Amino acid sequence: MQSEIIVIQGAVKRFGRVEALRGVDLVVHRGEVVVIIGPSGSGKSTLLRCINHLESLDAGCIIVDGIPLTQAENINKVRAEVGIVFQQFNLFPHLTALENITLAQRIVRKRTREEAERIGMELLKKVGIPEKAHAYPAQLSGGQQQRVAIARALAMQPKIMLFDEPTSALDPEMIKEVLDVMLALAKEGMTMVVVSHEMGFARAAADRIIFMDEGVIVEETTPELLFTAPKHERTRLFLSKILH
Amino acid sequence: MPDVERLEKVIEKKAAVAPAERERFDTWWFLVLAVVAVVALLVFLKPNPFQRIVVFLRDGIWVTIRITVISFVFILIVGLIGGLGRLAKNWLIHGIASLYVEIIRGIPLLVQLLFLYFAFPQVLDSVGAWLLKLSPSLRGAGQYLVDVKPDPFVMAVAGLTICYGAYMSEIYRAGIQSISKGQMEAARSLGMSYFQAMRYVILPQAVRVILPPVGNEFVALLKDSSLVSVVAVSDMTRRGREFMSSSFMSLETWTMVALLYLVMTLFASRVVAYIERKTAFAK
Repeated sequence: MQSEIIVIQGAVKRFGRVEALRGVDLVVHRGEVVVIIGPSGSGKSTLLRCINHLESLDAGCIIVDGIPLTQAENINKVRAEVGIVFQQFNLFPHLTALENITLAQRIVRKRTREEAERIGMELLKKVGIPEKAHAYPAQLSGGQQQRVAIARALAMQPKIMLFDEPTSALDPEMIKEVLDVMLALAKEGMTMVVVSHEMGFARAAADRIIFMDEGVIVEETTPELLFTAPKHERTRLFLSKILH
Repeated sequence: MPDVERLEKVIEKKAAVAPAERERFDTWWFLVLAVVAVVALLVFLKPNPFQRIVVFLRDGIWVTIRITVISFVFILIVGLIGGLGRLAKNWLIHGIASLYVEIIRGIPLLVQLLFLYFAFPQVLDSVGAWLLKLSPSLRGAGQYLVDVKPDPFVMAVAGLTICYGAYMSEIYRAGIQSISKGQMEAARSLGMSYFQAMRYVILPQAVRVILPPVGNEFVALLKDSSLVSVVAVSDMTRRGREFMSSSFMSLETWTMVALLYLVMTLFASRVVAYIERKTAFAK
């Protein structure tokens, strides 16, 4: 088993005239936690969304767990291995928390209702809200919704978890409960790619921090080095803005 | 406990809304009953001519209901296919669906029905004759097309389906588009195929959005089904005309026909409102 799980080479993505990604190379190893930071419009979310093909590349290639993301039949295979958690939670509002978690298990993984519900309840316990199993998303707080969304992604037993600004839409008092779940996941050895400006999380969990700006990776470093000795002027400027 | 408070608020809101809704529910059903009562009064107090009219119209009422319900089932299917076609990324599918919607919406239903019943058989005839000439191996198919006589009921259902299907496509399209893009992304990211995501995630939500306009379409269809009387279908309107031409009682006949349509449409819109309430979910 090779240690690289995500290999991105020369990724280019355009939206009309705008180049969101302008040649990005990145390798993520098994069990690694990579945090991507950068100003808005820097392409960090686009890069994340390309990893499970919510956006397709205009040039370059992405290989996930040895499977190149080019042919259509590979995409569903990869998606089943890669969980993603969105900024806006995107829970299914017509289903209860538990049904949100069991739906894909049953129709994609072909599990029985009993098995899917057992796994669903275990995961709800893990994210700390088993008592909300039968509540609808509208009856849950933002933090609870996001935790259900994490449980929903985990139910597919992914090898990689992607987080696209998971705490940006949350009230401050709810950020911690979501970050705690993410920290626990990181400790278990889950491979994670996280777009977030939560520096506390980055410091506690990240193996590597990547700073992106204008569609390219400007700096790749460890949390300690980022805060003590950022190499690039742009990184320094950005950090001074988000830390004060 | 902020969560408990939230939940309590939700419950309170529901409780606050419930009595008002129930009241409206009763008032409108009362209107349905009132119209039924007027019909009953007329029939019992003045059996001649009103009872005679109702008895004469009875077959027609049944035809009107049958043609509306059968067409509506097909319309829901055609609309779904048309709506998905309008949203398709494939340019050919998108083009065909758009062409269908644009052309059909631009032609009056009455003209479409007349075309289908009177002109379309001629088209089939010509195609059949051409096939007969073309090759002996196509004799069977050619002869069939030449011989086929249009059944009024089938043509009426086809005409209503084609016309209303186009409008329904637009309702489905708008309903599906009203569901946020994130829902499709979340479903696809969990490994569901496009059609699984549609079936289990998008459509169940879209159905709740489109239910009011779909209900309106049903009521409109019920009324527009009176147009099929021009293509030899003995629906309620046609039966009314027949009764009038033999009895010369226009006022009584058309009053009764109008009241009977009113009973049906009021009843249908109450049923739609009921289903709407049943399927609503906390937003």
